[in-house]
Amino acid sequence: MAAAALAMVSGGPFQERTDSGRRYWVKQSLDLDHSLVERCLSGDEAAWEDLIRTHTRRVYGLCYRFTGKDSESQELTQEVFLRVYRTLRTFRATEGAFTTWLARLTRNLLIDNYRRTRQERLTDSIEEQLPRIEESVSAESRPEGMVAGREASEVLQAGLQKLSPELREAVILRDLQDMEYREIAEILRIPEGTVKSRLNRGRAELARVLRRQKVLV
Amino acid sequence: MTCAELEILICDYVDGTLGPDARTTVEQHLAGCRNCAELARDAAAAVAFMERAADVEPPPELMTRLLFHAPWVNAKSAASGVKHWFRKVLHPILQPRFAMGMAMTILSFAMLARWVAPARQLRPSDLAPAQVWAGLEDRVYRGWQRTVKFYESLKVVYQIQSKLRDWQQQQEEETKPAAETQKSGRRTDTHRLPVKGTEEQKSH
Repeated sequence: MAAAALAMVSGGPFQERTDSGRRYWVKQSLDLDHSLVERCLSGDEAAWEDLIRTHTRRVYGLCYRFTGKDSESQELTQEVFLRVYRTLRTFRATEGAFTTWLARLTRNLLIDNYRRTRQERLTDSIEEQLPRIEESVSAESRPEGMVAGREASEVLQAGLQKLSPELREAVILRDLQDMEYREIAEILRIPEGTVKSRLNRGRAELARVLRRQKVLV
Repeated sequence: MTCAELEILICDYVDGTLGPDARTTVEQHLAGCRNCAELARDAAAAVAFMERAADVEPPPELMTRLLFHAPWVNAKSAASGVKHWFRKVLHPILQPRFAMGMAMTILSFAMLARWVAPARQLRPSDLAPAQVWAGLEDRVYRGWQRTVKFYESLKVVYQIQSKLRDWQQQQEEETKPAAETQKSGRRTDTHRLPVKGTEEQKSH
């Protein structure tokens, strides 16, 4: 069993992440972000537009993967950029990348929103839960391991909602936002070891959820 | 190596970022530990599934909303008073839903008008400047006359005008008799109709 698992891990479908290429890309985007922030602070409207165009995808992705609701994610994305506008002066380029700062701001807003809407989620009517139930039923009827693309994205979304917020945010930041462990540790303000531990548990829990839905062999 | 120590390394192992020595150590542990092997297998499976899933694309309307309702845009419009006021007034009218409704209404009325009272075909002579000007002048004159007529036939206007006339008349009466009595030394009632022979009878 352990040997079989080992074979799956070492010869599995995922590939090694190329660090040298990523490092070059990160440096380029770092310089770009810093100059953008400086232009924004000097009152350049075009720079604000560029900032929004560059980072909306990342912010919305984070919000959507965390909340699982499109309208809520759109509102939260707007709220994030409003906060960026108000608090950009507090960003220090020497203390880290802009993307890390932005992700931390988004994450804090998401956690605030999660706490605020906890009661609403508890009192969710059965009608609202019905589509999710139907979705999971239809997922069960699919052939195993055939899910990909948009369909996989939806199944993954449903699976992520079943994780606790701590595990969910670690998985989203690492596997869907492609962030470094160091950056995630900065965003969540926890040690890197804790990030890795949460990530392992999050990934394993997600795999179990997906297996129950028969989309994972 | 304990399971707790290995847990930290499993992430890097699954990501494929471990060095050769560390990788061998992890693989040796996984070969002998069922729980850790299961954890590594599940983690790898979840990562592989997430790589198959499509990226989340923000809806295009979100980008539009972010750019149009951005705080710096609002701050700028607040600074230019008249522009801001106009935008505020026109905002409900310029909503896409409302504009679409208006367009559909106009289209319906146009189709209805065409069906009920078909318009006369436009001829090239209709577009001559003199013709256009004459038509325009005629319309303006008629419109003006109609407006004046309408205004004069308003009950309120009529009442105000008659009241003003009365006041004017009253004022004239008050000033005129005073001047006349000063001249003739006696008062005359202008409201009374002159009766023939009255003055002669009194003198006799």
